[in-house]
Amino acid sequence: MSIDWSWISGHTDDLTSLTVSHLQAALSAVFFGLLISLPLAVVAHRIRPLRGFLLGFSNVLFTIPSIAIFVLLLPVSGLTRTTTVIGLTVYTLVVLLRNTVEGLDSVPAKTKEAAKAMGTRPLRTLLTVELPLALPVIMAGVRIATVMSISLVSVATYIGDGGLGQLFTDGFQRDFPTPVIVGVVLTLLLAVVADALLVALQYVLTPWRRRRA
Amino acid sequence: MYELFKNLGTWLTSGSQWTGTDGIAHRLAEHLQYSLLATLVAAAIGLPLGLLIGHTGKGAFVAINLASFGRALPTVGLVVLVFLAGGLSMLPVYVALVALAVPAIVTNTYAGMTAVDPDVKDAARGQGMRGHQVLFQVELPLALPLIMTGLRLALIQVVATATIAAYVSFGGLGRYVFDGLAQRDLVQVLGGAVLVAVVAVALDLLLSGLQRFLFRHRTA
Amino acid sequence: MNRRTLLGALAGAAVTVPALSACSSGITSLDGGGTTSGGGGSSKGGITIGTANFTENQVLGYLYAAVLKKAGVKVKVRPNLGTREIVIPALKAGDIDLLPEYQGALLNYLAPKDASAEPGTMQNALTLALPAGLQVLPYSQAADSDCFAVTRATARKYGLVTLADLAKQNGKLVIGAAPEVKKRRVGAVGLKDVYGVEFKEFKSLDSDGPLVKGAMKKGDVDVANLFTTDTDIAANGWVILTDPKNLIPSQHIVPLIADRKADDTVRKALARLGNTLTTAQLTELNSQVDNDKKDPEDVADAYAKQHGLA
Repeated sequence: MSIDWSWISGHTDDLTSLTVSHLQAALSAVFFGLLISLPLAVVAHRIRPLRGFLLGFSNVLFTIPSIAIFVLLLPVSGLTRTTTVIGLTVYTLVVLLRNTVEGLDSVPAKTKEAAKAMGTRPLRTLLTVELPLALPVIMAGVRIATVMSISLVSVATYIGDGGLGQLFTDGFQRDFPTPVIVGVVLTLLLAVVADALLVALQYVLTPWRRRRA
Repeated sequence: MYELFKNLGTWLTSGSQWTGTDGIAHRLAEHLQYSLLATLVAAAIGLPLGLLIGHTGKGAFVAINLASFGRALPTVGLVVLVFLAGGLSMLPVYVALVALAVPAIVTNTYAGMTAVDPDVKDAARGQGMRGHQVLFQVELPLALPLIMTGLRLALIQVVATATIAAYVSFGGLGRYVFDGLAQRDLVQVLGGAVLVAVVAVALDLLLSGLQRFLFRHRTA
Repeated sequence: MNRRTLLGALAGAAVTVPALSACSSGITSLDGGGTTSGGGGSSKGGITIGTANFTENQVLGYLYAAVLKKAGVKVKVRPNLGTREIVIPALKAGDIDLLPEYQGALLNYLAPKDASAEPGTMQNALTLALPAGLQVLPYSQAADSDCFAVTRATARKYGLVTLADLAKQNGKLVIGAAPEVKKRRVGAVGLKDVYGVEFKEFKSLDSDGPLVKGAMKKGDVDVANLFTTDTDIAANGWVILTDPKNLIPSQHIVPLIADRKADDTVRKALARLGNTLTTAQLTELNSQVDNDKKDPEDVADAYAKQHGLA
């Protein structure tokens, strides 16, 4: 199995657009995943009986094969990017929801009481005290969800999307390893770079943790 | 949507759907075989690795980063790559499934090991225990809950992902998903998906039951 | 899911009347041509070409793209979308606008009972069978049929010459084909209805791709569903079983397009391609992709340039 280097140099434009499209799908999924998880996590954190249900439900969603989710979405959103993003978003929920709930749980009760004693309203406490303190755990979830999404995008190649995943079906059909190898390597690179950027983002977002070190 | 679920009921309960090569019973057995074998192999690789790193404290940085690197491996790409390299067999599927399961097992085993109180380990050594005795009689039992968590997580992911076997002509419950996609038969796709989810949840409950059984003396 | 079907129905209702009138003129005025313009279509906003999940369809998609680009139409190709069962609903829904299709297979999909066999009558039958909002343009002289092939050894062992001979081995042979072929008339369904063939097993593989050809080479399947434009059939010495009862219809390549995009620019450009491309040339282009590992896009562009189409 040898690599055809000339194929790579002849396809830099295609590879770039596939990489961008791949990243866009993964990041959109994490974005919408957070948008859904944050309010749900607050609910799960405050209302104990709902917690088990929400976490359990997201766990069950996680057991459904991703390809099946994409196919079952076809009558709703067709062969579009929307289908890809909805499908991937479903998968981010299990990690994002659990980590956000755990992050909120990790905020010391005393801190919340102090905020209350100072007359801070609950919503303000949530936004300015609880969420920032929960941020490290939430960010850990965001990192896992991002890496997972980047790896999963390629499954959408079965419904004609899938970013770099298109290189896999292409190489498969023509018995041509080069696009497949390039696709795997670029996916891994994308995951490593995205993860490093998220670590940097977390560093910027949590200045109080730096002083401790 | 209602129609889809009603048809799913018919699909799941019709007797002919359960028998033969393409019957649910056969596909279920195949799916279990793929999933369990892959998870066992992954455990055989991941457990010793996680224990070794946790016990010696060496190579943790490399191993944990490799594990998160592994999580980014695209399963479809890996399957196709091994297929192109070695031809048509179940090998591509097993390689991809093992690669998927090992990171979860290694990281959780390592996390379990590092969570063991250093004082307890010191005390064990102070009593004259050797390295391997500390590992097997002290660290391992204490780390077991997290190790089991890792195994359960790995198994769930493997069961969901074993669907991919159908992409390269093999069986398992993924057959219904891929055939249903090609035929645009959503009932079949939903049927396959529901069965996969049921298998994953059932195996998870089984493992957590086993875990509780193993540690019953501890909670008592 | 309901919203989408509702939208589709509304869009369908809106164009039903002009499309019907277009149909009738298509039948009376053309012998084997496509439907005439229903008016209203415009390719100005650009056209998205979808292709199914096998090599030749990508080649054809990129050929369409090359000639349309030359005609000044903005095009986008979405390769490898899936099977006909997946792609046609996407065309109806507006996710794509244009699709390289095959007369007989498309007619079987739309009207399984239609017995038309000759390209001209098929074209008319297609026009009638197509849902509102879609039309076929004049068909190409190039054709690519489904076929059922066996290895020379299998043919000798079981005395297989025609599809009818398969019935003498009922319950013994394994067929390999893409999953959708199990439910298609040019597939397990028609082989049973027309020839009384029952296989021991249907193996879900791919559309004339590495799986079905690999399985054939390894002997995992006895009968394979392949395409006549595949040079591997001859290269491996495989035998195509003849079809005395005409189960497999004429399969000229035909552009399937949404009314909203069908204007004269598109019609003319695709008609020129259809009159130029021959079956032999298409076979050669497929081989360049499958065997020489050239990109379908490059192969298509080179062909179009060479023949003055781009």
